[in-house]
Amino acid sequence: MLSRAVLSTVATAAPCVKNAALLGPGVLQATRIFHTGQPSQAPVPPLPEYGGKVRHGLIPEEFFQFLYPKTGVTGPYVLGTGLILYFLSKEIYVVTPETISAVSTIGLLVYVVKKYGASIGEFADKLNEQKIAQLEEAKQASMKYIQDAINLEKSQQALVQKRHYLFDVQRNNIAMALEVTYRDRLHRVYREVKNRLDYQIAVQNMMRRKEQEHMINWVEKHVVQSISAQQGGVAQRSFEVAVVTFLWHGCKFRAADVKVKILQKSSPPSLPQG
Amino acid sequence: MASVVPMKEKKLMDVKIGELPKWILMRDFTPKGIAGAFQRGYYRYYNKYVNVKKGSVAGVSMVLAAYVLFNYCCSYKELKHERRRKYH
Repeated sequence: MLSRAVLSTVATAAPCVKNAALLGPGVLQATRIFHTGQPSQAPVPPLPEYGGKVRHGLIPEEFFQFLYPKTGVTGPYVLGTGLILYFLSKEIYVVTPETISAVSTIGLLVYVVKKYGASIGEFADKLNEQKIAQLEEAKQASMKYIQDAINLEKSQQALVQKRHYLFDVQRNNIAMALEVTYRDRLHRVYREVKNRLDYQIAVQNMMRRKEQEHMINWVEKHVVQSISAQQGGVAQRSFEVAVVTFLWHGCKFRAADVKVKILQKSSPPSLPQG
Repeated sequence: MASVVPMKEKKLMDVKIGELPKWILMRDFTPKGIAGAFQRGYYRYYNKYVNVKKGSVAGVSMVLAAYVLFNYCCSYKELKHERRRKYH
């Protein structure tokens, strides 16, 4: 509540605050400007090792130094003794039963401090050192972690530079695959064409064979007819049988040549043109 | 007064005796100023004797001794009656 009142007064009083006229007290939190000054970049100074020097645990050293030029070394002690005697004699300090208890308490305290002070100090120092070691360890671990992260980042950035190897390999693979498909298809084309040509050849062969067979049958028939018609001699018959056998074994001569030869021996028949 | 530091914000040790009343009146006696003075004094003592790596018993014992003296002063009025002699 108080802060809001203060802020509204600040908003009305200081025109340098942004949008002071437009804001109500509830909205001011959103546009308050913090950290306008420069932060001090100096590192925090370390703790001093030892505190101010104190003599007998009660009187700071500065007092002794203050009196040293005028009275030398014994000055403060003489002053102390004089003051104590004065207080006692004038009974500004009254000796009561409490004095005895005070003296014994202070004596005990002094004894304890003298005997165990050093060891307690060492114990406290050890605790401090443990704390500092823990913090240092945490700091080192954090630094190491961050350093590892930085190294990993750097190595990954270096990897990026080597990406072109990957792309080269991929490009090579693709080129090879293209080449393989091209050759495969080429081979297939060759096979298909050869298939069709083989078919054509097979058709032609078959036609020729059929013609041959037909021709041979026809010739045989007519030979047989002519033999039976003419009642020729054994020589002629054997000659014609030999011709027919010869034809049956599939000679290379064209059917037309054979026909001509047979026609020279017999009467001209009606031949199928083929 | 060109030789004198223009502002009268000198430290106590640099103030001359004759100027002391003037200097005292110049100090800030508002509640905020007094609180600030206590805070400054506390932190001065603390940083000198307590907030160190190897502190000693002096940091605490000086405070206790001052407290003892303060209490003695406060109860001197009653202690006066326990004096052994009347005239010194």
